[in-house]
Amino acid sequence: MARALHAARPLLAVKPVLLADIGEGIVECEIIQWFVEPGARVEEFSPLCEVQSDKASVEITSRFAGVVKKLHYEAGEMAKVGKPFVDIDIQGDVKEEDVGALAPVQALEKETEPKPTQAPVRPPAEETAASQVAILTEHETQSTPKGRGKHATLATPAVRHLSKELSVEISEVNGTGRDGRVLKEDIYKFVERRKAPSAPASATQPPAAAAFTSPERSTTEAQQETPIALTRTQEMMFKTMTRSLSIPHFLYADEVDFTSLVELRGRLNRVLSKSGLSDSQVGKLSYLPFIIKAVSMALYKYPILNARVDVDSANNSKPTLVLRSQHNIGVAMDTPSGLLVPVIKNVGSLNILGIAAELARLQTLATAGKLSPQDMSGGTITVSNIGSIGGTYLSPVVVEREVAILGVGRMRTVPAFSTVPGEEDRVVRRQVCNFSWSADHRVVDGATMARAAEVVRAIVEEPDVMVMHLR
Amino acid sequence: MKSEPMALLCHLGALTRHLTPNITRSRLHSVSSPVPIQVRPYTQNLGRPVQIYRSRSTDPYLNLSIEHHLLQRSHPESTVLFLYTNRPSVVIGRNQNPWLEVNLRALRQGLPQSAAAAPTLVRRRSGGGTVFHDAGNANWSIICPPPAFDRDKHAEMVVRALRGLAGAAARGGKVRVNKRHDIVMDLDVEVGGVETFKVSGSAYKLTRTRSLHHGTCLLSSENLGRVGGLLRSPAEGFIKARGVESVRSPIRNVGLGGDEFADAVVGEFRKMYGDADGREVVVGEEEALANEEVVKGLRELTSPDWIFGQTPLFTFSTHPTEDDPRERPGITHRLPEEFRAQFTVRHGEIQAADLAGLEYHYSVDDASQDVVLSNALVEQRLYYIEDWRSALRQASPVPVDVEGVGEWLNYMF
Repeated sequence: MARALHAARPLLAVKPVLLADIGEGIVECEIIQWFVEPGARVEEFSPLCEVQSDKASVEITSRFAGVVKKLHYEAGEMAKVGKPFVDIDIQGDVKEEDVGALAPVQALEKETEPKPTQAPVRPPAEETAASQVAILTEHETQSTPKGRGKHATLATPAVRHLSKELSVEISEVNGTGRDGRVLKEDIYKFVERRKAPSAPASATQPPAAAAFTSPERSTTEAQQETPIALTRTQEMMFKTMTRSLSIPHFLYADEVDFTSLVELRGRLNRVLSKSGLSDSQVGKLSYLPFIIKAVSMALYKYPILNARVDVDSANNSKPTLVLRSQHNIGVAMDTPSGLLVPVIKNVGSLNILGIAAELARLQTLATAGKLSPQDMSGGTITVSNIGSIGGTYLSPVVVEREVAILGVGRMRTVPAFSTVPGEEDRVVRRQVCNFSWSADHRVVDGATMARAAEVVRAIVEEPDVMVMHLR
Repeated sequence: MKSEPMALLCHLGALTRHLTPNITRSRLHSVSSPVPIQVRPYTQNLGRPVQIYRSRSTDPYLNLSIEHHLLQRSHPESTVLFLYTNRPSVVIGRNQNPWLEVNLRALRQGLPQSAAAAPTLVRRRSGGGTVFHDAGNANWSIICPPPAFDRDKHAEMVVRALRGLAGAAARGGKVRVNKRHDIVMDLDVEVGGVETFKVSGSAYKLTRTRSLHHGTCLLSSENLGRVGGLLRSPAEGFIKARGVESVRSPIRNVGLGGDEFADAVVGEFRKMYGDADGREVVVGEEEALANEEVVKGLRELTSPDWIFGQTPLFTFSTHPTEDDPRERPGITHRLPEEFRAQFTVRHGEIQAADLAGLEYHYSVDDASQDVVLSNALVEQRLYYIEDWRSALRQASPVPVDVEGVGEWLNYMF
């Protein structure tokens, strides 16, 4: 490990560099932008950042050659002159006059103590970086899969000398040595590739930036593969979906007439807007609370849909159905960090307003990324409003530890024939929406699903029925 | 007319010292004495200890690129003077926010009461605030070694040039450098007392090896009264930005011609640096464009990624937030009652968007639709959005009412 090697040296190589006096008695200035990131190689005079002080825009360059380890400020923060602003792992000689630019010895000694404790904490992060580099070197790719910025490349002085000779930018070369070190062979290979016309410009551009540049690549290029690690959310989704799809699904889809519900909602929202609202109450109802309540009402009739399947590994993998009394209905939400399913607990005990309030609370938390594990746990059945992303029919996937899921498609206006007796030829407007149910076919049969779906449909199409069920 | 002998010199090619006029005599009023003009490529001049350049171009991007090239390539020990005039332009500082400083919609429509083309929007490489350039405004630029750098030194030089000229003296105004290193003119007011007007602003760019100080000088701009509207953004009350904000001051012309100002500044510069018989180099457009580095710089300055994408982080919100608790200005556009919007924009790219209260036609759950629409806006470049109405329409898979909100956002950005 790079870190272990450095710890063995008598002289600490990572030094905090002080922000040089930019003159005119200025004590602090704003960092406008950084030109380097942790891991970037810098040479003497490489631009590090740009700062602004009053009307002066000042370019700060590095006094040392080495690798940037840490930035002490973010862009937009005020940096203090004479205090460390960047840590550099210095790999060249330090000139006498530049020693003063390093933090004084006492500060360095303080650094030695945290170092040993830092070492065990750092390796996991560095390992993933190293393992990512390893993935890189296994595939002979030309792109930089680590996203924006230069990756940390280490090279011996001999290699660096060679790179200067051949006018090669070390940071652009893939290191095949240990920890991603750049070896002489890598330099030679890079030079060859550079001569070859097939070296695309996109090789040195981070893929994120490539998304904005116009496609200038020729169509005769070979297929390029770019391994990217999954985000944490994707990993979770991967595991969950792999488990879920071992459940045999069947799909039951139906078109539901929303016309009556549209009228009811309109009336109720008018009432709500007229009356004075307390803070906890919702100002405007959407259709979702009605749908959720209808599902809960159907679950009283068909409790199997609220159950889960337990496979008892101790007892010969014998499956059991576990019925659950509370209806904890999960509502799938699209958040900045991906699809999440927070849960509205005990819907059976909530009225429409209560469901709406809880829904709003969870939506606000979801957008802010502040859902707690409590909010996400205990679901017994899920409603997925993916109609919000577009799509009329869908085949939703049953969530783990549940046996059924309802996918709500887009609402749309369609022409239909009137059901008023005597007027059956008249064409009327109807608002419809497709409900797509998926269920675990190991325990739920088609007829049960159809009947439950019918109950939900009947309630949604004739919402006044709920009045009959009021206690 | 001084131009004839100059033209003659140009046509005769590179002429040298024996044509040097007697510079010491009355250079401040020397509109008539010819100064040798070099026609060979200006890059050959970069090694001299004292260099003087004038640009023939009025393209602000090109002039700034020439200036940058001079900054990067002139000899490290040299001192350089560069003079240029731009066509009508709004020039923002390196780290400023165009949405905050400029009324972009008004800019596109052009100067009021003027049929001329809309002013050019430019982001320069030096710090400081937003200014308006036109033919009645002169730009001067001094590049020198860092040890010699001083914020007031060359402003004082320009003041000396101004003091000797007829215009300022005739108006009874006194010019001086103020505390902010700007050049101001004190005018005696009829009522008694003195009113101070800004006639020149300065900005600086400091690199490891060179220091640049450039500034403007309002000579005879016709547009002083027309520019105010362009430099006031309707989004001001809604944007909280990092970076430098402009400081507004009342401005005045000194009442001079471009050539006489330029000659006077050159004269003072020569006096200061003992360059009595040095050359003055005129830089033409073609010549500058033939230089690779200038063209590279030019491409950068003209790219939207530079002009708009170099904007530091800012937030835009319709309602007070924790980060920005100011009361918001009233909105005259008709917007849905519950409409709220919040954006975080970094380098011109929308990093976070949170819109709420939009009106959808037939959605099962409006709140989720807001989330979907907001998420669709993330990672879009603010400056690529030409019409918010279509941007919103595209961002929503479900039909949404875009007119009111879209129009208002167009007005903001």
